[in-house]
Amino acid sequence: MSRPARVGALSRLAPDPVKLVLNWGRRYSLWVFNFGLACCAIEFIATSMARHDFIRLGVIPFAPGPRQADLMVVSGTVTDKMAPAVKRLYEQMPEPKYVISFGACANCGGPYWDSYSVTKGVDQIIPVDVYVPGCPPRPEALLQGILKLQEKIARESLGERYADGGADGSGRPDGPDAPGRPDGPDAGALRRGLVRP
Amino acid sequence: MPPLPGSGLAKGLAITLRTMTRRSVTDEYPDTEPALPPRSRGTIALFEENCTVCMLCARECPDWCIYIDSHKETLPVERPGARARTHNVLDRFAIDFSLCMYCGICIEVCPFDALFWSPEFEYAEEDIADLTHERDRLREWMWTVPEPPALDPAAEEPKEAAAARTAAEKAAGREGDTA
Repeated sequence: MSRPARVGALSRLAPDPVKLVLNWGRRYSLWVFNFGLACCAIEFIATSMARHDFIRLGVIPFAPGPRQADLMVVSGTVTDKMAPAVKRLYEQMPEPKYVISFGACANCGGPYWDSYSVTKGVDQIIPVDVYVPGCPPRPEALLQGILKLQEKIARESLGERYADGGADGSGRPDGPDAPGRPDGPDAGALRRGLVRP
Repeated sequence: MPPLPGSGLAKGLAITLRTMTRRSVTDEYPDTEPALPPRSRGTIALFEENCTVCMLCARECPDWCIYIDSHKETLPVERPGARARTHNVLDRFAIDFSLCMYCGICIEVCPFDALFWSPEFEYAEEDIADLTHERDRLREWMWTVPEPPALDPAAEEPKEAAAARTAAEKAAGREGDTA
């Protein structure tokens, strides 16, 4: 799980103007890899077709495989059986890589949050950059998620993203044994308002 | 008979020419507002003034994605000898939109019309905790709720409107008597 980030020192330590150009290049050429697992994949396909056409935003759906992709859109129910494949294909993607979690099932399990066989959100196995809510979300909602991701790429710095070295994607520790995310709310904040039985 | 040489090319160019002269069907989404269908299910708005904390929505939700906390407050006794009345006060109302499956059962079961569909869909987040919308955010969605569809022509007057109208007429009649 913990391995050094594989992004070159040149782009990690680039001065700010160069970073600006690099980020500009990255945000408008996101070769996307559709991990379609359920009905949300249909909405993803609808977004890629002529009516919504996300190539307008620089999202290119012709990646031959994960090794040529920058962005993975996990659309659909991730089952525990499929989870190793999701993780593996994510690890095959070259750095820097981004993940959009599309739909309720990929966000947190959705209607199957109490199922024995469904992973309760794809963020349990890979770090997610943008969560798109919906069941399934509208194609426009995916476009808005892509815009949100592009804003995130525009203001990010790869040096900071890979600062702790041990993280494997967006600079956050992941996996079941990792400590709580430093930027997220702690357990106390999430349990606020819950009544102990 | 073999096809005429170049006929395939001509056919292809004819199709190209035909599509070239037509307008493209692409919606320019970030620049133009999408044409959403009526009763579009984007998000759920809370009109918290109508909420009586009956918990029906939270209990009927198939996903259990509605969180409600409340406490009871005692009203001052109106007449001597009367029992003190209590009423529920809403403390927290949150919907976890990362979990919500947009079935609309909460809106259907709400007996006091406190929940509404709103067509807004632009609330993708970078942190999943932000997808749990608390009551102030749910109240903000209320401003985006569209008008209800008009009644059918020659439809029966809604009960609430009829009751209000008769009450108003009665009050006006009484004023006329005293004057």
